[in-house]
Amino acid sequence: MEYNSKTYKNYETFKPQLESIGRYGYFFITAMVMIIAWGTYALYTQLSKGQVVTGMRDYVIWGIYDANFIFFIGISYAGALISGILHLLRVEWRHPILRMAETITVISTLIGPSYIFLSMGRLERVWHLFVYGRIQSPIVWDVIAISTYLIGSFIFLYLACVRDLAFMRDHPIGIGRWRNRIYKFMSANYRDTPKQRELLNQLIDLISIVIIPLAILVHSVLAWIFGMTLRPGWHSTIFAPYFVLAAVYSGTGVLILVMFVFRKIYHLEAVITKNHFNYLGILLMILGALYGYFTFSEYLTNWYGSVKWDMEVLYRLFDASTYWWWFFFSAFIGVLLPIGLIAMPRLRNINTIVFAALIAVTALWVKRYLIIIPTLETPLLPLHDLRPEFASYSPSWVEWSLTAMGIAIWLLLFFLFSKFLPIVPVVRVPVSEERDYFKLRKLARERILRRLISKTRKEKNVVVGIVILMILSSSLVCRAQDPVKSRLKLEFLNKSGTRMLTTKLTSKKDDQTIPLQGMQVSFFIQGEKDKVLLGKESTDEAGKATFTLPGKLDVPRNKEGKYSYSATYEGSKEFQPSESSTEIRDVFMKITFSQKDSSKLINLFAVEINQKGDSIPIEGSTVIFYVPRTFSSLKIGEQAVKSGHADLDFPVTLPGDSAGNLPVVAKFEDNDNYGSAEVSATMAWGKPLPPDVIIKRGLGDTNAPLWMVYTLIVLLSLVWFHFTYAIITIFRIRWLGNKALKEEQAQIGSK
Amino acid sequence: MKDNNSSRRKFLKLGLAAGATALIGGGGKVLSAVSNPGQASGETGEKVKLLSPDGTLVEVDKGHCHACPATGKEARQGIPNKKMVMVIDLARCRNARKCLEGCQSMHHLPPKIEWIKFFLLRDSKDTSPYWFPKPCFQCNNPPCVKVCPVGATFKRTDGIVLIDNDRCIGCKFCMAACPYSSRVFNWGSPDQEPLPADKKYSPETSWPQKVGTVGKCDFCPDMVRQGKLPSCVTSCPNGVYFYGDKNEDTVTNGTETVRFSEIVQQRAAYRYMEELGTEPGVYYLPPVNRLFDYKVGFQDLKPEEIQLYKKEANLSE
Ligand code: SF4
Ligand code: SF4
Repeated sequence: MEYNSKTYKNYETFKPQLESIGRYGYFFITAMVMIIAWGTYALYTQLSKGQVVTGMRDYVIWGIYDANFIFFIGISYAGALISGILHLLRVEWRHPILRMAETITVISTLIGPSYIFLSMGRLERVWHLFVYGRIQSPIVWDVIAISTYLIGSFIFLYLACVRDLAFMRDHPIGIGRWRNRIYKFMSANYRDTPKQRELLNQLIDLISIVIIPLAILVHSVLAWIFGMTLRPGWHSTIFAPYFVLAAVYSGTGVLILVMFVFRKIYHLEAVITKNHFNYLGILLMILGALYGYFTFSEYLTNWYGSVKWDMEVLYRLFDASTYWWWFFFSAFIGVLLPIGLIAMPRLRNINTIVFAALIAVTALWVKRYLIIIPTLETPLLPLHDLRPEFASYSPSWVEWSLTAMGIAIWLLLFFLFSKFLPIVPVVRVPVSEERDYFKLRKLARERILRRLISKTRKEKNVVVGIVILMILSSSLVCRAQDPVKSRLKLEFLNKSGTRMLTTKLTSKKDDQTIPLQGMQVSFFIQGEKDKVLLGKESTDEAGKATFTLPGKLDVPRNKEGKYSYSATYEGSKEFQPSESSTEIRDVFMKITFSQKDSSKLINLFAVEINQKGDSIPIEGSTVIFYVPRTFSSLKIGEQAVKSGHADLDFPVTLPGDSAGNLPVVAKFEDNDNYGSAEVSATMAWGKPLPPDVIIKRGLGDTNAPLWMVYTLIVLLSLVWFHFTYAIITIFRIRWLGNKALKEEQAQIGSK
Repeated sequence: MKDNNSSRRKFLKLGLAAGATALIGGGGKVLSAVSNPGQASGETGEKVKLLSPDGTLVEVDKGHCHACPATGKEARQGIPNKKMVMVIDLARCRNARKCLEGCQSMHHLPPKIEWIKFFLLRDSKDTSPYWFPKPCFQCNNPPCVKVCPVGATFKRTDGIVLIDNDRCIGCKFCMAACPYSSRVFNWGSPDQEPLPADKKYSPETSWPQKVGTVGKCDFCPDMVRQGKLPSCVTSCPNGVYFYGDKNEDTVTNGTETVRFSEIVQQRAAYRYMEELGTEPGVYYLPPVNRLFDYKVGFQDLKPEEIQLYKKEANLSE
């Protein structure tokens, strides 16, 4: 394979960079590794203690992690949109900057999402997203979109690197020889045969087309995480395009910064010229203007409409004691300064453009902070919390350290990459390069390891338990004093013919009535001469003990036709004995239902039993009617019983069960003669209850609406069709190269 | 008589009052012989009321009640044929915060975790402030449920929105989505009384809370299954909370039992910020004819807190 002299000239510029790291290089690497080590410690702290170590609390639930997340995904636009569009438009000057742009994309798309993981409370449950994922959730959209985007950007970057990899394979380097093998493997046997060239060019075009809508989607979805909530300042329809624009703006800014840095450290003045800065500067200016327009439109609308909460967020942004200076920097300086510097030809030079880019990039980070925090500090109900760390947010050292760590990894990866392949494509046509796929896996493995290390903490619980036990036992010791008074109350119940005695045993302590649990209560009935023991029961946690009377009592009724019951509690070391008694006449009650014209009636028949056992219709006592419900009984009316009868309208408007069955209860309540006596009956005259409606598909249900499923399938298959095609074609290029090589060898052999 | 006996036992076991009339009527006798039900092994003789899986109320022996709160799939489905609602009477609230105490003790929460919050609201400068206790509204169109990426928070057929702390990944998206600040996060260890070894975690009890996951008021479905009222309802000294099943058209605060439709219609109940489309399951009765002056609510508060409340309600003095 042959290369022209220009290629060799290009390569001369980069050869030294590839072969040595340099004193400053080592210094830089050490510094970055130290920051990363510190960040790892911060990460360990967070994983072992939970997110208490961050500044986030119940109101401000997201902090700079999420700002970083949006920021990194934002700057990833450098590669995707800018290089994609520049490539499609066949802009001549794009070549030297394409690889930087695409590397920014891939590295940022790697770093960005890790911040989402950091802001998750349960990192080790990430896999739940795949097992239980609900595609109704914007977070799942995000996971799908970003992972697809990462793969797409990776393919894009790789395709653009193939030619350079082939060149490197053909010109092995002397130092760090292990790289030669990687070059060889990665170069996909690219020999620049006409067929191979055609396929490669076609692929690059194809993927740059796919990557553009994908990039737009990624940031829209990200914006929707905020836009889909009902929060002031977030619930905005322009959020998606606004985010996309802000992202391109910051992406362009970062690209300018990266260009500047590499131009300086690798002395690329001849390759990256003033023109590059000029063109990108002007692009930055246009984007800045557009971004300013969106910002203005968003805040103007909110201010004009002056909805209470929108105004509260605005007050926060415009109040000097809260966010005004931040807001001023991000919305005014961050827009006007870059525009001003670049728009005026007299001011426009590389330094001002780089300065403008720096301002834009910082302003945009601040902007992300201002999107998240002031809104979260403005809940719809007042933010009522006395704890200062809950009332407002300030990032903790852990958050800052992990932010620094992300930036350090970003810089380090970039630097290492520039030592692996020339940062500017050497072979002029398009581009070439590679990213270490295995590093991803290694990162994941390391993360798992770190997580395993951070599992401990149990001893604390034991100590707390012992302390509680000690307090409890000491309080028991203190209580050994004179017995206190206890109180027993006996009640008689007749539930549909089942007679029960129930008692409640209580005691007074500090003016409060407390139930006594686990005490024995004995139940008696007055016989002809003596009290006869009926049985014993112990009290439950409410202090209640219930004894069910046998159907037939072998003692005679007294003159009034009553039985005399009593209950005693024998007392203990702590409590004095107590007793209670009551005299009850038995009743018999029965409910029937009748319908006369349109009125539906409940008919109660009630008799009392006299000394001889005869039934005598009840006269005058009040009976109350109830409908039993889950927690209590709903009173529907009361009547005085007249010659054994009482009628009441059936509560036809009350819902019953699915057939309309509605139980009703008639009850004498704490009656002097009868105690509590009740009877119940059920009639299907209630309102029938419609069965539970189980909605299978919907935003809040288990399964997503069908249109959502279809949209996702269509979108994903479209994208993956192209990705698969790209991957297959790469293998085809490889195979073609092999063939070409063999043919060449055969030719040489035959000669 | 044999027949009667067996059905009588069933009656005792199931507490179904319906069989009883037939029993007495059929027996033709005024009083029928009722013997104590035999105590099989494992039974304690103590009965607890429970809702059976098909939604009817049954009484079972306490010894058989380990499975009171549902777990797994059943916990995600909800109690059939129920629709739990709450009515909060603002006219009776004096910021006593006993509901919160009750909630914390029933859910074994330390004081720092508050699932019920208290606000001093004032709708405009011309009106007077009122106390506003706020549990989770168990919205019928819950924004929190919509956004959960893993279905860790879910809406049940009985209207209750629960959290599965075993599934939650702690993304906090639901907290961002809930417009009523009803959710709290376990930033660090919840410092909770540990779960006894013989009990299992269930989303219905929300116990134990787990670090890195979300918690909130759960409307006590485990209590509903036992036919018991949530603790906030029973601990309120003023009967502010009415709780019940909309399908029964009945709510109760423990002492008063009223028809849900009647109380919400007659007292002009409203749902808080209904305009958000969340369709809350908690109704508020407007603070008219109040039992207490709002200042009574300042009694037990720290001066800083009173200050904060006054600021929030735009009160000058
Ligand atoms: S109040 Fe908040 S947490 Fe409760 S259901 Fe509604 S949106 Fe969800
Ligand atoms: S924090 Fe938990 S419950 Fe809330 S949305 Fe995330 S995974 Fe769901």
